[in-house]
Amino acid sequence: MTTQETAPQTVEPRRPPRRERTTGGVLGSAGAAILVMLFAAAAAAPALTRYGPQERAGLPNRRPSAEHLLGTNDVGHDLFAQLVFGARVSLTIGLLAALFALAVGLTVALLAGYLGGTVDAALMRAVDLTLAFPFIPLVLVVAAFLGRGLFMTVFVIGAVIWAQPARVLRSQVLKVLKYEHVQAAQAMGASTLRILAVHILPRTAPLAAAQFVRSANVAIMIEASLSFLGLGDPQRISWGSMLFFANAHNAIVTEAWRWWIVPPGLALTATVVGFAFVGYSFEEWGDRRLTGGSGSVRRRRWAAEHAARGPAAPADPQVVLDIRDLHVHYDTPDGAVRAVDGISLTVGRGRLVGLVGESGCGKTTLAMALPGLIPHPGAIVGGTVVLDGHQLTAMRPGEVGRLRGRVVSLVPQSAMNALNPAYTVRRQIAEAAALTREPDDAAARADELIELVGLSAAKATAYPHELSGGMKQRVVIAMAIANEPALVVADEPLTGLDVLTQARIVRLLLELQERLDVAILLVSHDLPLVGQVVDDLLVMYAGRIVEDGPAKEVVADPRHPYTRQLLKARPQLRGADRDIAPIPGLPPDLRRPPTGCRFHPRCAEAFDDCQRVDPDEYEAKPGHCSACLLERP
Amino acid sequence: MTWRIVRLVVQYGLVLFAAAALNFALPRLAPGDVTDYLIPPEQAGAITAEQRERILARYGLDEPLPVQFREYLAGLVRGDLLISARYSRPVTDIVLERLPWTLLLVGTSTLLAVAVGTAAGFRSAWKRGRATDVSTMSTFMLIDSMPPFFVGLLLILVFSVHLGWFPIFGAVPTLPTEGVELVVEVARRLILPALSLTAAMLGTIYLVARPALVSELREDYVLMAQAKGLTKRQVRRHAERNALLPVTTMALINLGTVVGGATVIETVFSYPGLGRLLYESVLARDYPVLQGTFFVLAVTVLAANFVADLLYPLLDPRVRRPFASP
Repeated sequence: MTTQETAPQTVEPRRPPRRERTTGGVLGSAGAAILVMLFAAAAAAPALTRYGPQERAGLPNRRPSAEHLLGTNDVGHDLFAQLVFGARVSLTIGLLAALFALAVGLTVALLAGYLGGTVDAALMRAVDLTLAFPFIPLVLVVAAFLGRGLFMTVFVIGAVIWAQPARVLRSQVLKVLKYEHVQAAQAMGASTLRILAVHILPRTAPLAAAQFVRSANVAIMIEASLSFLGLGDPQRISWGSMLFFANAHNAIVTEAWRWWIVPPGLALTATVVGFAFVGYSFEEWGDRRLTGGSGSVRRRRWAAEHAARGPAAPADPQVVLDIRDLHVHYDTPDGAVRAVDGISLTVGRGRLVGLVGESGCGKTTLAMALPGLIPHPGAIVGGTVVLDGHQLTAMRPGEVGRLRGRVVSLVPQSAMNALNPAYTVRRQIAEAAALTREPDDAAARADELIELVGLSAAKATAYPHELSGGMKQRVVIAMAIANEPALVVADEPLTGLDVLTQARIVRLLLELQERLDVAILLVSHDLPLVGQVVDDLLVMYAGRIVEDGPAKEVVADPRHPYTRQLLKARPQLRGADRDIAPIPGLPPDLRRPPTGCRFHPRCAEAFDDCQRVDPDEYEAKPGHCSACLLERP
Repeated sequence: MTWRIVRLVVQYGLVLFAAAALNFALPRLAPGDVTDYLIPPEQAGAITAEQRERILARYGLDEPLPVQFREYLAGLVRGDLLISARYSRPVTDIVLERLPWTLLLVGTSTLLAVAVGTAAGFRSAWKRGRATDVSTMSTFMLIDSMPPFFVGLLLILVFSVHLGWFPIFGAVPTLPTEGVELVVEVARRLILPALSLTAAMLGTIYLVARPALVSELREDYVLMAQAKGLTKRQVRRHAERNALLPVTTMALINLGTVVGGATVIETVFSYPGLGRLLYESVLARDYPVLQGTFFVLAVTVLAANFVADLLYPLLDPRVRRPFASP
């Protein structure tokens, strides 16, 4: 959106967004079709049959005929009439009970979500225990004592099934209340009613709809079970009671099962399927996490076709990472996102290299490409990557998998969540160490690594939730170096840590680099911090490297306007220059990057050529390059 | 930890108390005379005022309500659940005879449903968005949508009436049998009802297992497990270990629903469990048995959930050691 304002020039025409077919969409339409038919049948019941459901329409126990489409039962009721009118009972009870359950459930959810604390805990416990209660026997007992009318049935069913909607809606209410803009609205004094109407209800609606449909289903099932046990409303014939009479007259051992058992059974199934499908599509609409693929066949083929298989580059033993013209794209309905768009770089053995840039410039994609973990729907579509003599881009996924941990390892973003909550620290480190060792040695190695990263031996048996952020980061680093890989890619390892812990982690990385002779690619958005510690710096913008060189030189004498901006975008604790100068604008949309120099729409020093000429990397000084036309010789 | 247990005891105690209170209140709230619910239906309405007084006195129903309630609770604690109107035997004895069959049926079906539902749900999650996922999901939603008694009737129709593989009545053969033969015969009578009940809960388990694993797969620890070089199978174990938590919780919460399903299934198959007893006593208007059965079912389900709540920390270290200092 913003990018189109900053990049109005000749951009490739926008492809109409392809509508993605989701599981929920397909199921939802099928379910809706079923329900429309059922409601129509229920509404038009008197027009569909000449007989009433409890009218002696003919001789008893007749086979199906033109007169009686499904034959007659043991007292001569027309079974087709019962089937059609039965839809009314099921739908009425389902909808009324669901309405009742939703009203109670939503109230409980709002109370629990809003009041929080003890009230929330108490209500939710009540919900859990209600859910766990054997409610069909309860309904049975209550019905046996208090009678079996329609409204009694609706009331009793509603009173036992409200718990599920309450539970689901409460967590949604809590989620919405945690959104920043909602909290801001609250802080600014918006009334409870307004927050409810503007923020909570609209975002709860899809799930509430899903829960309504689910409750209708449960209610229909309970009514059918009750009727099947002969405890339904005696005034009305429902599908359940048709089956009760069929079973009571042993229709199953005669041929009558075909018209007396199967039709009401299928009608019930179809109704519940219809509601379930519609409910699932509501759920998917409300919770996008259920959608999304693990990689459809189409996308896999796309990735395979685009996989580059260039010739192997000559291996230099002093180079652990050699990337030539790498392109990584994400295939989205709106076109390919070119997250890495023609990058070349090398990392020498044992070097500490910083890769910096704003969020959204493609640096995480580059980091993930090295251990072959680009998330779906991304793929390497061009260029070569040679990792310690192994040509990554010519390998099958399984072969790349064998390099992970041994040749290249990753310290992923948000180490806070990178540990499995169910296993101890030692176990998780030993698991990594076991790649190249016997199990016993792996456990010993784990203890060695725990010490190496500066954790006390007592932490070996700790679970992740018992560790601080810095400790977790150390554990993750221990796992990454367990098998002494040639290259460790550390993606934002300092983010989310306090300044002192940052300094300790940096010291640890430096120490490990020296002791283990491992090369480290340190990915960060914080150029001023990283610039102080790394040997070499790579500055990335919009999928490209815009400046690279020895860290000291880049920091002291930045040759790209973007680098200069990055250096200024951090407050200085000491010195005269205390102004923070945020870079105006946002990184561009990588589906449609600007023409010419990609930074020109945000660049204070841009001139005419910048819009048209895509700059090469120009060598400003020996070993120090900048992709800026100002450096053009 | 101790506090957790105390809290659990109080919570479950309250629910149990509510169930008992409901049981106490129902006959007294219901239309008609309390004595109607204590004697065989054919005698109801034909008794003299004097007989009525005697019945009331025998059950302590002439006392004030609070005294009645105290006596009632004391009776429950002693395991005393009135006398069956139909069998003239203590309800406790009748119920305890039937309980094992329900436990066998519900236990077998739960294990089966959890095993199959979880395996299928996890498989769907790994293949999410692909054809196998959509078809598995539709199949499970379809099975889930069939009323359990309808599934039972269809199974009887196919496997008993037409193929003649399984007997359809009761849990044990009518002729006395012993040893291995007895086990085989019991198993043959268990298969169809157990399958019906399994079908009734498969969908629920599947629909918890699939999204549970899908959301675990988005966690960073799964990425880390891959990044440190673990094999596919090891990575799978990491994610599934955590996805099992919601599945376990669901399987237990669902127990109450399953017992409800068992009521219907036992009726279809004339299986001599508590569900069938509930149904029989509704038909025979044997209210003491009806109430006693309901109460024992509630106690059983709550007890299972209570034990599970106690054991849950073994599965989740975050609950087991919440206060350990970093």
